[in-house]
Amino acid sequence: SCSRAKDVTMPAKLPVNFFSTRSPVIDLFRGQLDYADQLRQDSEIVLYFFYAPWCGQSIAAREEIEHVASRLSDQVLFVAVNCWWNQGKCRKQKHFFYFPVIHLYHRSFGPIEYKGPMSAVYIEKFVRRVMTPLLYISSRSKLLDFLSNYEPGVVGFFEFNASPQPPGYLTFFTSALHSLKKDYLGTIRFGVVTDKRVAEEISLVHSGSVYLHRHANTSLIYPKDIMNFTAENICKWALENREMLIRWLRPHGGKSLLLNNELKKGPALLIFIPYNPLAEIHPLLDEITKVALEYHKCNKSQAAEPDLQHTGDSVSPAFDSLVTDTHPKFSETFPIAKYPCCNTVVLPQWHSISRTHNVCELCVNQTLGVKPNKVHVPHCNFLEIEAALDSFYLQERTFFQVISNTIECSNFLSFYSPFSYYTACCRTVNRHFLSFISSEKTIFQTPKVAFSSHGKKDSTQFSIPHIEDRNCFIPDLNISSMNITGLSCRTNKTLNLYLLDSNLFWIYAERLGASRSTHLKEFAAIVDLKEEVHYVLDQNQSLAGPTLENFIKNFSVLYSPLKRHLVDDPSVHFHEEHVVTEVTTNTFHETVFLSAKNVLLLYYAQWCGFCASLNHIFIQLARLLPPDSFTVARIDVTRNDLPWEFMTDRLPTILFFPHQRKEQSVKFPEDFSVNLPNLLKFILHHSSLSSSEPCTKECLHKESALQQGHILHLEREIKKLRSEISALHQAHGQLETQLSEARREEQRLQQQKHTLEKQHKTLQLHSEQLQATYDQKNQELLEMAEKLQELADASENLLKENALLRILVASRGGKLQSKDEIKGPLQSEETLSEDNDISLATATATSEEKRIDNIDTIDTEHSSGNRTE
Amino acid sequence: GAAMQRFLGPLLCLWALRLPAGTGAAARGLDVASYRERVRAMFYHAYEHYLESAFPYDELRPLTCDGQDTWGSFSLTLIDALDTLLILGNVSEFQRVVNVLQEGVDFDIDVNASVFETNIRVVGGLLSAHLLSRKAGLEVEAGWPCSGPLLRMAEEAARKLLPAFQTPTGMPYGTVNLLHGVNPGETPVTCTAGIGTFIVEFATLSHLTGDPVFEGVARKALKALWKNRSDIGLVGNHIDVVTAKWVAQDSGIGAGVDSYFEYLVKGAILLQDKELMSMFLEYNKAIKNYTKFDDWYLWVQMYKGTVSMPVFQSLEAYWPGLQSLIGDVDNAMRTFLNYYTVWKQFGGLPEFYNIPQGYTVDKREGYPLRPELIESAMYLYRATRDPTLLELGRDAVESIEKISKVDCGFATIKDLRDHRLDNRMESFFLAETIKYLYLLFDPDNFIHNDGSDFDVVVTPYGECVLNAGGYIFNTEAHPIDPAALHCCRKRKEEQWEVEDLMREFYSRKKTKKFTLKRAPDCEGENAKDPEDPSFEKAGEKRNSKKSSHSLLSCPSQSFTSKLAVLGQVFLDNT
Repeated sequence: SCSRAKDVTMPAKLPVNFFSTRSPVIDLFRGQLDYADQLRQDSEIVLYFFYAPWCGQSIAAREEIEHVASRLSDQVLFVAVNCWWNQGKCRKQKHFFYFPVIHLYHRSFGPIEYKGPMSAVYIEKFVRRVMTPLLYISSRSKLLDFLSNYEPGVVGFFEFNASPQPPGYLTFFTSALHSLKKDYLGTIRFGVVTDKRVAEEISLVHSGSVYLHRHANTSLIYPKDIMNFTAENICKWALENREMLIRWLRPHGGKSLLLNNELKKGPALLIFIPYNPLAEIHPLLDEITKVALEYHKCNKSQAAEPDLQHTGDSVSPAFDSLVTDTHPKFSETFPIAKYPCCNTVVLPQWHSISRTHNVCELCVNQTLGVKPNKVHVPHCNFLEIEAALDSFYLQERTFFQVISNTIECSNFLSFYSPFSYYTACCRTVNRHFLSFISSEKTIFQTPKVAFSSHGKKDSTQFSIPHIEDRNCFIPDLNISSMNITGLSCRTNKTLNLYLLDSNLFWIYAERLGASRSTHLKEFAAIVDLKEEVHYVLDQNQSLAGPTLENFIKNFSVLYSPLKRHLVDDPSVHFHEEHVVTEVTTNTFHETVFLSAKNVLLLYYAQWCGFCASLNHIFIQLARLLPPDSFTVARIDVTRNDLPWEFMTDRLPTILFFPHQRKEQSVKFPEDFSVNLPNLLKFILHHSSLSSSEPCTKECLHKESALQQGHILHLEREIKKLRSEISALHQAHGQLETQLSEARREEQRLQQQKHTLEKQHKTLQLHSEQLQATYDQKNQELLEMAEKLQELADASENLLKENALLRILVASRGGKLQSKDEIKGPLQSEETLSEDNDISLATATATSEEKRIDNIDTIDTEHSSGNRTE
Repeated sequence: GAAMQRFLGPLLCLWALRLPAGTGAAARGLDVASYRERVRAMFYHAYEHYLESAFPYDELRPLTCDGQDTWGSFSLTLIDALDTLLILGNVSEFQRVVNVLQEGVDFDIDVNASVFETNIRVVGGLLSAHLLSRKAGLEVEAGWPCSGPLLRMAEEAARKLLPAFQTPTGMPYGTVNLLHGVNPGETPVTCTAGIGTFIVEFATLSHLTGDPVFEGVARKALKALWKNRSDIGLVGNHIDVVTAKWVAQDSGIGAGVDSYFEYLVKGAILLQDKELMSMFLEYNKAIKNYTKFDDWYLWVQMYKGTVSMPVFQSLEAYWPGLQSLIGDVDNAMRTFLNYYTVWKQFGGLPEFYNIPQGYTVDKREGYPLRPELIESAMYLYRATRDPTLLELGRDAVESIEKISKVDCGFATIKDLRDHRLDNRMESFFLAETIKYLYLLFDPDNFIHNDGSDFDVVVTPYGECVLNAGGYIFNTEAHPIDPAALHCCRKRKEEQWEVEDLMREFYSRKKTKKFTLKRAPDCEGENAKDPEDPSFEKAGEKRNSKKSSHSLLSCPSQSFTSKLAVLGQVFLDNT
């Protein structure tokens, strides 16, 4: 049974309901994918939720999906499919690397994968976008609302008077759906205008025109004559040409270089606001985007132009014919046939520069066969190149294993779309050549406008991996006037602006020093990765347009009044009873510099193994030193920032700040092992150098205080010794009892030994006795045997005698017979004598028998004696 | 080598592109307390069924609801789970079990036992229970922590292992008979970890008992391995302990090697030992150079450095935790995020995972509820407080409960592809997996003590400060208090020195002028001090001018670490 039990296995439990039966979500917990496909016929909009029942993320997302389903169940069909159950169709057909996966279908269009946050409001917003990918714009005011939004808007004009469905409308509709596939955050909004008069506001005359609205740059009209009017193309065109004045950052939670790539472009303003995607209005967001628009409004002429929102006048978009005239950057000289869209990426200087490449041409290869438009910017759209970069940097290590002196190209798959891939061609260029390239590139883009500063910027930033970003090319004007309008182009400290939803990403705000106590989760910080500093908008000020403007202005001016923000750990409270004083950013100055004590400060981090194992030494030290003249303190530098001059690059670091000479702090030599005697020697050595001035009253006072301390110390020592004595006594007692126990044990053993010896003796005696009896018996036996022999001999003699007698008798008988024949009366006398002879013989025989009996007895006795032996 | 790398390159990047989408639940925060209680319930479900159905056997067989002996006959699960009881706060059961073990466990048995497993599970378990017994409210004898019944048991068990170290190289045999010593004809082939995973337990034993033999053999074995590393600085995973020839030349950080590297670091921390740390740092360099690709660690040939297996092993997942202990938090997090995606794919970590193929390896699809990834999550959570790490804890609780919980305990997952179960519950499930999960969800546990709490214990050898945090977990997750090592041996000399210094401290200021002159002498004395070996080393250091900083230190966190949470990783500026 033992070996059988070893082979016992058990198949996985049968799947059960994942959603409750009352839920509006249809739960195909046996993974019936075929049935799921059938269900799609029943509803215009279907959401598939592919889950694994063991997956924590699926479980967490379950209630979010249920919440969305309860709100939209009348318009959307929610189908959950167990895609783990290995007998199910779904597992057999689909191969997911993570769960849950959400797919949406708009009729036959799909699947559109939802990749946003697993939060009900975001999912619902996205589902609603899939339900109505096009917003119907019925009036002029609605158009203004639509266009004034900070997120890029695409408007199509389709006249419905002529035919029930004007040509191109369906394509436009599909392109709106298509955009959701690529741009899963749904930042580009699509609207449709059917009224000719409304369309005129944006200079759209012909039905079937598509318009991309831009705030800082000229708006565009889809160039039908150059690009085919297909859903993919429209979508691509919009994505590539849209304006990104302020971006939402939504890290997906997996390993990603999103922040790395964004922050390495330069200083960034991160604005945290609580965001509900379903809310109708976002007043705070509007205010922030207004600031962003102003900040980026670089083109002087355009800035002077009346804004659409303010004046309500029509804004004419740049038509193809106009583009080259009004915008020198879209120079005719640009090789428009260049395809696919590429971007130069400068890689950081690696240690092994000689065998690696540092400049890569990163190209996005997809939807081949489309000729680019003349207005097509020679850059890839932001999202795509970012995705490519993300993938590229994540495996740059691998990439740089390739050793080659020539240009090396490799393809790798896109994360966002499995059907497109990127090409990266890398080569090594030296610094000089590099700066030449970037300058050349700048010239390329801006033939006339001043580029020197831009070029310089590039060459100084060459060590940071970054996209060679296209900034504004407007020369510095009005730099003296501190106006937010167009500031981004007038300063050399241009900020990139980002939004983060504080409902999801508040943790970043906390890391940057947002107070944990505030209920209002609004926060703004400027992060400069290169300088390793960040500045924080005073949290006592409410986050609003003017405060943000001031914040930006203060950052931009030459001598910035902003101070580097030092994050401190608010969870630390000052404990009197702690022998080692815990220092934070806020208490650092007070504890270390203002206190009239010698201070020994340990820089540590909780996670560093070398620090944590020193705890007991510092506790001992603090207990040893007189608390009224010495402070043993420590600071957790992962949670508490300090000014540069007090920072250290290794942990643990021990600094000593002697009393009255706090500025002359000394560092415990790193080569010495950290133990109590060494620390004491270190302190003794450096605290001894204190004042050598003649002894004054104060000095005497100090002296007495010191001796008081000494007395206290000695008293403590005595106490310690007493307790040590008691411990020793205890140990002594313990040993005593152990010893006495051992003695008792020994005694017992001795006794046992004695008794055993006695027993041994008696046994020996017994055995001797037995030996004696044995010998005796043996002797007897031998004697017996001898006697027996004698008897046997005797009996033999007797037998012989007997035989002789018989012969004698027989011979006598013969004689007698012959005599009888002669003399009768003599016969009776003869017979009598013969009778006597016979009786004699009989007696002999009897005695012989008796002897035999006797032998038998001896035999028996002999054997029994043997047994006794 | 280059060809292999070129071949691997594209495969690896395919992998890197499969990033999981959509968190957000993370930011809303997990209900840590409720998960903590679920872990506690998991523990008792397994523990009580072990006591009921399997004790005194080594392990519970959860499908057949009975017990079996696996690594000896020591009631292994009970010894292994002992300190978990205390971490869960169950003082009374801890006390009961200590008594049961004292009565019931006998090492004078004719059993062939693995030297490695007996050390980490039995010696380690008994040592940690011994050091925690005062905290658990047990009446300790006057000499504690330098004596005690559990310490004597640990010492007895360790002495049974010593015959294995009697080899020409000092590297131990893998198996020893507890009664007769090394069996005649025993194989001389031992895995690297089986040679280099003794220093934590044996040094602790030596420091507590005063018998240097344990630390001595452990160090000798470590040095023998160090001597036999390849020219490019790597070690294989099996060696002949008699001839010192490498039998298996695959080099990596996982199975067969793992805890060797772990113990170099932990030994260095526990003993403040620069030599061990410098060994590790040298290995670390070679590992980075030859085995690291895209934050994965592959298997390479130890002499040539060519990739032999592009797999990730479940056992390798301890590495990020180890990196965080020495301050390499950025790299640790990046590797951890790679490993986490594998968990998300299967609901556990397969023993082998083929990285380019993105799937399990034949015959290596099992997940015996190993702790390594959770262990790393616990260490990294200490360092970063990143909610992603709590999410891994959540996923582990959900997966283990959903997949492997049966009526009689928790069963090993035989195959992660279909979640078939096997009739085994390894003792490390209660010793490690549950312990690390609980500690991940219990940031206020005494084990996480950062030094703000401590105990003062008076021993016959003087006063000791104990339980001040900084516990070193052995490779079976048994915590060792580093302060205890400074409590028993050598204690007196140091104490006298300190007393002298204190006397000087109070007297010197009386004669200030005198001290001014004396001070440099004091320094001179220090430098010459022959008693303290560290001073000598310091001298060598200065001469060699190799590195400017101490080996026994961590780098401070970079500025970007503030934002390196929720999956964000940053590339070096250099």
